[in-house]
Amino acid sequence: MIAFENIRKTYGKTIAVDGISLTITPHQVFGLLGPNGAGKTTLVNMAVGLAKPDSGSVNISGLGSPRNPTVRLNIGVAPQTLSLYNDLSAEENLECFGRIYGLRGAQLQERVAWSLDFVELRERKNDRVKKFSGGMKRRLNLAVALVHNPEFLILDEPTVGVDTQSRNAIFENIEQLKKEGCTVIYTTHYIEEAERLCDRVGIVDRGKLLALDSVDALIKQHGGNSTIVMEKADGEQTVETQNPIEDILRLQNEPGLLGFRVLRPSLETVFLSLTGRTLRD
Amino acid sequence: MNIIWTLAMKDLRILLRDKAGFFFTFFYPMLVAVFMGVIFSGAGGDSGSHASALSIYVVDQDSTEISQRFVDTLAHSEELQITPTRLEQAQEDVRLGKKAAYVLIKKGYSKARENMFTSAAPVVEIGIDPSRRPEASLLTGLLLKYGAQDMQQVFSDRKQMRKQVQASLQSAREHPVGVSANLESFLSSLDSYLADTTSSASERNGHWSGFEPLKIEEKEISRQRIGPPSSFAVTFPQGVMWGIIACTTTFAVSLVTERREGTLMRLLAAPLSSYHLLGSKALACFLTTISVSFIVMLVGILVFGIRVASYFKLALGLVVVAGSFVGVMMLLSVLGKTERATSGIGWGVLMVLAMIGGGMLPLFFMPDWLKALSNISPIKWGILALEGAIWRDFSFQELLPPYLILAAFGSVSFLVGARLFRWSEHT
Repeated sequence: MIAFENIRKTYGKTIAVDGISLTITPHQVFGLLGPNGAGKTTLVNMAVGLAKPDSGSVNISGLGSPRNPTVRLNIGVAPQTLSLYNDLSAEENLECFGRIYGLRGAQLQERVAWSLDFVELRERKNDRVKKFSGGMKRRLNLAVALVHNPEFLILDEPTVGVDTQSRNAIFENIEQLKKEGCTVIYTTHYIEEAERLCDRVGIVDRGKLLALDSVDALIKQHGGNSTIVMEKADGEQTVETQNPIEDILRLQNEPGLLGFRVLRPSLETVFLSLTGRTLRD
Repeated sequence: MNIIWTLAMKDLRILLRDKAGFFFTFFYPMLVAVFMGVIFSGAGGDSGSHASALSIYVVDQDSTEISQRFVDTLAHSEELQITPTRLEQAQEDVRLGKKAAYVLIKKGYSKARENMFTSAAPVVEIGIDPSRRPEASLLTGLLLKYGAQDMQQVFSDRKQMRKQVQASLQSAREHPVGVSANLESFLSSLDSYLADTTSSASERNGHWSGFEPLKIEEKEISRQRIGPPSSFAVTFPQGVMWGIIACTTTFAVSLVTERREGTLMRLLAAPLSSYHLLGSKALACFLTTISVSFIVMLVGILVFGIRVASYFKLALGLVVVAGSFVGVMMLLSVLGKTERATSGIGWGVLMVLAMIGGGMLPLFFMPDWLKALSNISPIKWGILALEGAIWRDFSFQELLPPYLILAAFGSVSFLVGARLFRWSEHT
């Protein structure tokens, strides 16, 4: 469990995080959504001990603050920036970070091999990272975060700049980790990723937590009504509805009707309704 | 310690795989040392040995008109630059290498010159370092040349010649029995005298000079070395310092690269303390610096024949210098936000410190005001710590000031750098 208790963080006059309280329960994938500059990265940095809250506290599994290096043993991080040594091979990167987390000997070799297999890079393990494609680097970035078998995994926009195949492979990796009981914090700009992967989602903006629940519950609470689109010979006509089936039955005898489509509210609708449509820098 | 070692080895592996970094760290200092050594070769410690006029002292113990005439002859020669002085002063300065040699005109010079036909040749002593054979031979040749000129003057001057003859007659008359007849014969007929040299008194008495213009005695004055024995003994410590500058800048930049590439963030999120991170960077920088210094000095010793006065002091000096510049690396790594800025600041600052600290122009070539200014440069103290072990033959007492200054400089730089690093990464 990761518990944020009324944490606040400012940089000069900018309030990055403004009194957020949040508990991330074990064995879940928790999605953190928010526009640019919402405070997601600051929240993640405080979760891994990189930033110190001005007030409030962060507690990892009841062990204490992640500012304590021992507590950080339980956390794996895959930063948004590809944090890899380009002049080392994939295997050397994994060995280096494995040693930093205290792995040695056979245990180290076993975890390195497992990580390479997990992200399907075993055949390229001896190649230097600088020769890797963007997708391969992203997968290795994930493998490095997993090499010490952490209880908590923090993924900061792990699919930025990768092709569809690599993105799908990363999704499958995360679903596999979830099955194995790993707790994942997942920040992303891609709403459909959160819809596919996350058990619970927190939407933050301007340093505040605007909403926190499962995807379905958020849609129910903030998504508004569904929309029925009637396809006619002379064009389309939309009708807002709280009960699509009932209304479709009512509208089925409309003249010139060719068919229906139902647009259900999505997480994106929720996101835009909570954070607005104004462009962010 | 395991973690520090792991991170340090990672840095060394990355450095070795970076071809440009490897070249500038390991080969560039060697090129500097060899290039500068070739430029300065011959100009290092034997100042004056290649000058157009040989600078010597002249000591006139005879102090007569004749000896003074010889001194004047030497003074007007183009090949010599003479300074009259006392014998003690001349011996001391030749020993210290301030003058190439001295010429001593011994007492009795004028008497020997006046009694050319009956006495041994006038005696002149050369005091010179035994290792300076070329200068000794040159000086002997010049003295014989000007001695012969002096003698020729006597023969070509009627008054002088008559004076010579009269003096010789007087000397002969005072000589033991049986001499005067031959001399009377000689003086009446020079030809018959020369034809009958076997019966001359001077031959029998072992004083026949054969009209030798001078008798030159050579006295060895072993020179006390106060300069470097070769130009490479000066330029290789400079090369070591350039290697250390390259390592310092390379590792300062590597910390900024880690920040840019995000690996620093990953390390900071790992169960490490700042002590581990900074310690590993310092260890990697120290090991590289020591390796580079060792390789440069090894090439200097094996290939360029540098003789080291004390290997222990050299090793100690390298450790102190390397340790000090690890501190400088730490400070530089937090001064720039980008690799370009850090590299610019690093090379800019260290280049200036190298220029005023003897990294380019050797310290002993510098004017006094620049020597005074060089005290602010750790490069100067680094070079002094190395030269002290290689050719200055410093005692530990003499090495202590450079060691302490370097240690203080390195410690303060490291502490300030570490403080700024912690502040910038954890706020």
